[in-house]
Amino acid sequence: MIEKLLLLLFFFFFTPSFVSPAADPAVISPQDPTLLIGSSLVATCTVSPDFHLKAEDLYWTLNGRRLPAASYAALGPTTLSVALARLNGSKQQSGDNLVCHSRDGGILAGSCLYVGLPPEKPVNITCWSKNMKDLTCKWAPGTEGETFLHTNYTLKYKLRWYGRDNTCQEYHTAGPYSCHIPKDLALFTPYEIWVEASNRLGVAVSDVVMLDILDVVTTDPPSDVHVSRVGDLEDQLSVRWSSPPALKDFLFQAKYQIQYRVEDSSEWKVVDDVGNQTSCRLAGLRPGTVYFVQVRCNPFGIYGSKKAGIWSDWSNPTAASTPRSERAAGGCDPKGGEQNTTLRRELKQFFGWVKKHAYGCSNLGIKLYDQWRVWLQKSHKTRNQVLPGDKL
Amino acid sequence: LSPLCPPSLRHRVPTGDSWGIFTFLCAALCNLPALPALNCTEELGAGQSIQKTYDLTRYLEHQLRTLAGTYLNYLGPPFNEPDFNPPRLARVERVPSATVDLDLWRGLTDNARLAANYRAYSRLLCYLRALDGQAGTAELRHRLGHFCSSLQGLVLSIAGVMSSLGYPLPAGPPAPPGTPVASNDFLKKMDDFWLLKELQTWLWRSAKDFNRLKKKVPPAVVTLRLEARGF
Repeated sequence: MIEKLLLLLFFFFFTPSFVSPAADPAVISPQDPTLLIGSSLVATCTVSPDFHLKAEDLYWTLNGRRLPAASYAALGPTTLSVALARLNGSKQQSGDNLVCHSRDGGILAGSCLYVGLPPEKPVNITCWSKNMKDLTCKWAPGTEGETFLHTNYTLKYKLRWYGRDNTCQEYHTAGPYSCHIPKDLALFTPYEIWVEASNRLGVAVSDVVMLDILDVVTTDPPSDVHVSRVGDLEDQLSVRWSSPPALKDFLFQAKYQIQYRVEDSSEWKVVDDVGNQTSCRLAGLRPGTVYFVQVRCNPFGIYGSKKAGIWSDWSNPTAASTPRSERAAGGCDPKGGEQNTTLRRELKQFFGWVKKHAYGCSNLGIKLYDQWRVWLQKSHKTRNQVLPGDKL
Repeated sequence: LSPLCPPSLRHRVPTGDSWGIFTFLCAALCNLPALPALNCTEELGAGQSIQKTYDLTRYLEHQLRTLAGTYLNYLGPPFNEPDFNPPRLARVERVPSATVDLDLWRGLTDNARLAANYRAYSRLLCYLRALDGQAGTAELRHRLGHFCSSLQGLVLSIAGVMSSLGYPLPAGPPAPPGTPVASNDFLKKMDDFWLLKELQTWLWRSAKDFNRLKKKVPPAVVTLRLEARGF
C-alpha cells in the first residue's frame, strides 16, 4: 500500500505539468522576420531577469555557426545585439536559425529569418480536358532559380462573360505545378484562367489564358489494340483497334496515329495519315521480326469544332511478329499493297490487255496472281510458327 | 494552426495483477477434464498480436530514422546536428515524455505499461499529424503521411494486444482547451525536434517491452495445448 502511495507521489513530481510554467529565458527581436535578399538586420537578445545572465555572457549563432564577436554590441546590462549585413537567401525554407546562447552553449532563444525574393509570374500555362469532363492545367514557376521562400500557387478561373472567380482545389495531380478541376465546367464558352504565386514577400499573377474547353479536349487511348499477321505475308502486320468508348456518343471524326518499332530498337516509326479508320495494315516490315505497336487518338472536330484536339496517350504496346522471309518499303496501305511495283504494274497491264483481246480468259486477273503468291508462300512455310499477337 | 491535442495526463496508479489472473486461469483449466478441441485461439491470438506489435514497432523505428533525418534537415542546422540538445522549456508538457526511470517502468504491471504505451502513441500521433501541412517538399509530406498511417496501425495493434489479454482499453481523454501552441516559429521547431526525439525513445523502449511480453505469454499456451493432446 505504501509502495503505491510512493509511486503516486513519484509520478506527481515527475510530470512537469505540475511545475508552474517559467518565463522564457530570453526574448529575441525581431521574432521571425521576413527580409529581402541583400538586406541588413540588427537583432537583439534580452535575457529574462530570473536567469542572472549579463550581456557579456551571451553569443549568437546563425544556422549553427557562431557569429563574430565584432558584430555584437551590448545595448544594456541584459541585452546583446548582433548586426547582420547583406543577407543571403535562407538556407532552408523553414527559415534560417538565429540563436542567442549563454556562455556554456545553452539555447536561450531563437528567431527564424526568412530571407528571399518575391515570387515571379508563373508562365506557360497549358490545360487539357479529358473527354470534356474536367480540366487539368499545369504551369511553370517564373524563377528558374529559387525564391528561397516557400511559394504557394493558386489556380483561378472564371467564365469570361460571367464574372465570379473560382479557385482550383486539387493540386499536384500532374506534377508539382498542376491543378485539376473535376466538374461544373461549361462548354462552348470561353474561360479565363490564371495562376497566382505568393510567398512571404509578395504575390505575382500570371498572364491570363483564355480557352474554350472544347479546344483542349483529349481522350483515352484506343482500346482493344490487336496486331496480327496478314496471312503469310512476311512484310505486313494488320493493326485493329476500337475508338475510345468515352467519346463514342459525340459526333467527331477522330484521327489516329500509329507508331511501331522493332523489338531491339528505340526508334519509333510513325504512321500519320491513318485518318478515321479503326484498322490499318503496316507494310514494308522486316520478316521474322518482333514489332511493338502503339496507337493514339485525337478527338478532332468534336462538336463540329474545326480545331484539332489534343493527342491521347499512346495505347499500351502490343507485340506481334512477322513470318520469316523478305522485302521492304513503308507506310500504311489499307488496300494491301504489293511490293515490287514494276512487276505488278506490268502484270496488271498484261491482264488488262488479255481481257480485251483474249476471249475465255476472264478469270485471269491480278487477283489470281495474288492468290498464286499466297499459295507460293504457304508451300514454303515451315518452322518459326510464332503466332501473331504474341507478347514477348 | 495545429488541432488541440490532449495534454499529458497524470500517470494513473497501476491496478490489477495480470500474473495473478493468469495463474488462476491455468489452475482452473488444468483441473477441467481434457477437452479434445481445446479452443486456444484466445491465447494464441495474444501471442500473435504481440509478435505483430513488436514487428510494427521495429518497422516504425526504422522508418523514423529516415523521416527524422529528412525533417531535421528541413528545420536546418543546428537541429540536424548529431549532438543537438536544446532545453525542454518548462511549459505545460504536450508531448508524453519517454524518459521515466527504467526500474520504475519495469516495476509496472503489463496492463499499466500497455496502457501507457497506448496513450502515449495516441497523443504522439495527434501531434505528428499536426506537423505543418505545408512543410518542406512533397516527398517529406508523403513520408510523414505514410509514417502517420503506420503509427495509427501501431495504436490499433496495441489495443488488440490489450483486448486479447483481457485488459480494458484506457478511456480516451477529453481534449481540454487551452493547451498553448508554440508562440513563435523557433519554439515550434524545438517542439518538433522533441516530438521526434520522444517518439524515437518510445519506440526503442516499446520494442523491449513487447519482446519481454512475447516471452511471458507463449509458455502458458504450450502448457494448455499439451493438456489437450494428452487425451
